Amino acid sequence: MIVGFDNVSLAYEGEPEILREVSFTLGEGEFRFLTGPSGAGKTSLLKMIYLAHRPTRGAVTLFGEDVTAAPREALPALRRRIGVVFQEFRLLDHLTAFENVALPMKVAGINPNQYREDVRELLNWVGLGHRIDARPPSLSGGEKQRVALARALVAKPDLILADEPTGNVDPVMGEKIMKLFIELNKLGAAVIVATHDITLIEALGKPIMHLEGGRLHDQPTTPPAKKGKRG
Amino acid sequence: MSDEQNIAERFVRAPGEEPQGEPRGFLGRLRAEPLLPEAGAGGAPLTAVIAVMSFLAAIALAVFVFISDAAGEWTSELERGLTIQIKGADAETIASQTQEAMRVLQSTEGVLEARAVPKEESEKLLEPWLGKGNIGAYLNIPALIEVRVDQNLRNDLSLLRTRLSAAAPGAVLDDHGEWHERLSAAARSGQLMAFAVFILVMGAGCAISVFAARAGLAANREIVSILHLVGATDDFVANQVQRRFLVLGLRGTFAGLALAMLTLGLTSLLMRAGGGPSGFLPSIKLGPQLFFTLLIVPIALCLVTAATARLTVLRTLSKEL
Repeated sequence: MIVGFDNVSLAYEGEPEILREVSFTLGEGEFRFLTGPSGAGKTSLLKMIYLAHRPTRGAVTLFGEDVTAAPREALPALRRRIGVVFQEFRLLDHLTAFENVALPMKVAGINPNQYREDVRELLNWVGLGHRIDARPPSLSGGEKQRVALARALVAKPDLILADEPTGNVDPVMGEKIMKLFIELNKLGAAVIVATHDITLIEALGKPIMHLEGGRLHDQPTTPPAKKGKRG
Repeated sequence: MSDEQNIAERFVRAPGEEPQGEPRGFLGRLRAEPLLPEAGAGGAPLTAVIAVMSFLAAIALAVFVFISDAAGEWTSELERGLTIQIKGADAETIASQTQEAMRVLQSTEGVLEARAVPKEESEKLLEPWLGKGNIGAYLNIPALIEVRVDQNLRNDLSLLRTRLSAAAPGAVLDDHGEWHERLSAAARSGQLMAFAVFILVMGAGCAISVFAARAGLAANREIVSILHLVGATDDFVANQVQRRFLVLGLRGTFAGLALAMLTLGLTSLLMRAGGGPSGFLPSIKLGPQLFFTLLIVPIALCLVTAATARLTVLRTLSKEL
């Protein structure tokens, strides 16, 4: 099991619970969409998976380990197995696009000769091969999102979490990104994509987790696949 | 095969391929690239504060060294010699007892040199207090004999005292013990004060590092959070901050050391221009030996500030999540 939530609740300090008794599992090679209205708790749920928050109640399992109360020292190794595309990009403004994408490798202490080509290839693939030395403040929202995507993939993650990954890119790039997620998933990576984009969900026909009012209302269901414009 | 398939194959871990690790060992950590922005941990103001601390610590250490040197000179001078003072009712008695005392000294094993101080010289010694004039005409000035002895004799002066008392009842042997004790106590006090200033400056370095590390961590909160999310350990983040403090510390401490050397050099020149220090004041001796001693300051201050910053970061981060 890659991710397991068992009656997990989350409340930020002094605030009501934003997630209530959420339970689900995500196995190896599974693909899920996470849907729900704004404020439903999608981002909070993803944050708990990438270990930015601990549950107020319940138990969280990640890569087969109970991480509910795991010691702080155990978290970095788990995080290195997760690639996250943040909704707000979260790039380092003082680093170039190349350095931002290479960040997980730098943190892992890997020799630049071993990842230089990988980083260039990813940046070329997202259409930013000509902007590798640009810093985030000079990039558009869509370009930042593509850099964030490349950073999420560079360390070959076992689990990919993407929060509105197509929200700031044009439809063609959005389609490319989703195709890539599907291909990565086919090769074994587990994927969770949080999105509002019903067309995208319907087009790919992957199982859905629907959050509303902090509760997971529907267990994963597979909507009828439709041949939408995103194919 | 589509572009997406190509990329997917490149960026999915092959069976048996290990996930990315983390920098291991001292060299591994040393190789990690600096990832904090330039102005992230205080920058110029912190460098300036470290330079001032380095200056004060270097001056304190230099004073410690000068006092140690001077104390060594004072005590070795005092230890080398004895003084015999011969008092008497009149000049003739004093002169005859001086001769007797000299005979005793010349026949005593361990006496290396004995010199009766001429009357004019004795009178000159009193001039600073009694003024110039024919002091000997109206004062019965005791005679003085300066004696140099070997260590064996110095260790046990009782026999010499007995023989002197028998031959010259007015002779008083002064082994300079009281002066030695007083000068040593004064030197110790001076050394203690200089050392206390040095330690206080190091303590201030710790306090400033704690404050600056916390401020730097708060200013770079988002960056630290992103580093954590891509798998950085607290140790990695602490290394990043520590490296920054080492760089700032090296700049600041060597600037402070250079300023301190300049100040000591100018003070030395001014003292020489004024006729040099009087016998009891420590003299300023600049040279490679002093420079190498003062190198302790930048090294100690850099280590103290960097280690404190590291511990502060680790402690602060350990309270998160």
